[in-house]
Amino acid sequence: MSVDWITVLAQIGNFLVLVWLLKRFLYKPILNGIDARESEIAARMGEAEIAQKQASVAEAAFLEQKRALLVDNSEQVERFRQQTEKEKDTLLAVTRESLEREKQEWQAHLNSERDRFISELQLASAETLYQLVRRALRDLADEDLEERIGLHVIGKLKSMKPELVSAAGNAEQAVATTHKPLPDRTQEKIRTALAGLAPDLELGFTTDPGQAPGLILRVGSVQVAWTVDSYTDELTGMLSERLASGGTGWMQNHG
Amino acid sequence: MELTPDETTLFTVWGLDISETVGFTWGVMILLTLTSILVTRNLRPDVPPNRWRTTLEVIVTAIQSQIEEISPRASRHVLYFSGTLFLFIAFSNLLLVVPGFTPPTASLSTTAALALSVLIAVPLFGITRQGIGGYLKTYVQPSVVMLPFNIISEFSRGISLAIRLYGNVMSGAVIAGILLGVAPFFFPVVMDVLGLLTGLIQAYIFAILATVYISSATATAGKPLPKEKDK
Repeated sequence: MSVDWITVLAQIGNFLVLVWLLKRFLYKPILNGIDARESEIAARMGEAEIAQKQASVAEAAFLEQKRALLVDNSEQVERFRQQTEKEKDTLLAVTRESLEREKQEWQAHLNSERDRFISELQLASAETLYQLVRRALRDLADEDLEERIGLHVIGKLKSMKPELVSAAGNAEQAVATTHKPLPDRTQEKIRTALAGLAPDLELGFTTDPGQAPGLILRVGSVQVAWTVDSYTDELTGMLSERLASGGTGWMQNHG
Repeated sequence: MELTPDETTLFTVWGLDISETVGFTWGVMILLTLTSILVTRNLRPDVPPNRWRTTLEVIVTAIQSQIEEISPRASRHVLYFSGTLFLFIAFSNLLLVVPGFTPPTASLSTTAALALSVLIAVPLFGITRQGIGGYLKTYVQPSVVMLPFNIISEFSRGISLAIRLYGNVMSGAVIAGILLGVAPFFFPVVMDVLGLLTGLIQAYIFAILATVYISSATATAGKPLPKEKDK
């Protein structure tokens, strides 16, 4: 057993070479790799921490936004509710107005119907009254209604002589309008009576079926009339009163 | 009985006899270097480490942590030196199980070379760390009277290292040789297993002692060294 110094030197050289080789191919790559990985992990952890902070900030912002949104939402709901209320009120007002208008229209229609009815009633009443009076007069007094009307008008003309003369002025013609043609005898009587009042006037006769039974005398701008309109108006008034009282009575009886 | 592989020629290159000690040392060197190259050739931080790289990382970080336990301020050069000592001795001893392989550490020349390396490395690390004046001052500590004792201590340290490693490895081989004569089929296996254990322990002890010597030579009351990083 001895030490071979050449081998010792060779082994020292070998050992130094091995140190260099392992430093070059083992320690440096491994340690640098570990360092790189550590720094990468540290960087990633840093990034994760930053990301976590950002996430926290984002979460807080989101929660704030959500809260604001909820508040805004409730405000919006309230606004919509008020708007809807207003809309409802407007619609109700429009509907009420429309109903009122329809009611008024209906009322106007009723009034017009009533007026038309009354008008028709008046005409019918006048006609009926005229026929009844005529028949009654003929049956009871053996007189003609037209003639009596004519005489009545002439009677009136006598009392109105000054007004009639002044109104006639320069007029040369008078026109007597009747519902139906007057008998010639009656026409002659009226013509004679008028000649007594205004000799220059020439009297003409005409008929108007739309006119109420009676006689209307026109001289210039003056008009003297006697028709059954006043009687039928009175009759209509009486009928209306009776209808109104009857209606009320009916309501009282059945209400 | 042959006690040293220095005298056995493994092969001849250009008329130069290469002994088993040097030849098998080259073998161990090639094995370690090739393994390192193969494992670390595709080393990128973005690629997850494979099992081989993890194994090497475990070995290197274990050595580094052992060195840091002894000397927290040790530079990476201590790791290169002590780590290589450990790996070389450990692999030389572990390859004992390969038939025909004689551990280079079974040669007193190898252990002497390693001890000499430590002997030279200790003052070099000390001078690098403290400067030549600061290092030489440690020989006259605590007083000038201690100078010869310190010098003797320094040398005996290297000799003890060499003899310890050689003795342990060689004793294993000698005991295995003796037992081979007694019970040729049973004892050698047991002894080889024991040899693996003692080989690893010796590698550990040798590397640790070298680190302790280096750290004691580099230990000063000055500022700690900044953490190194290889470029």
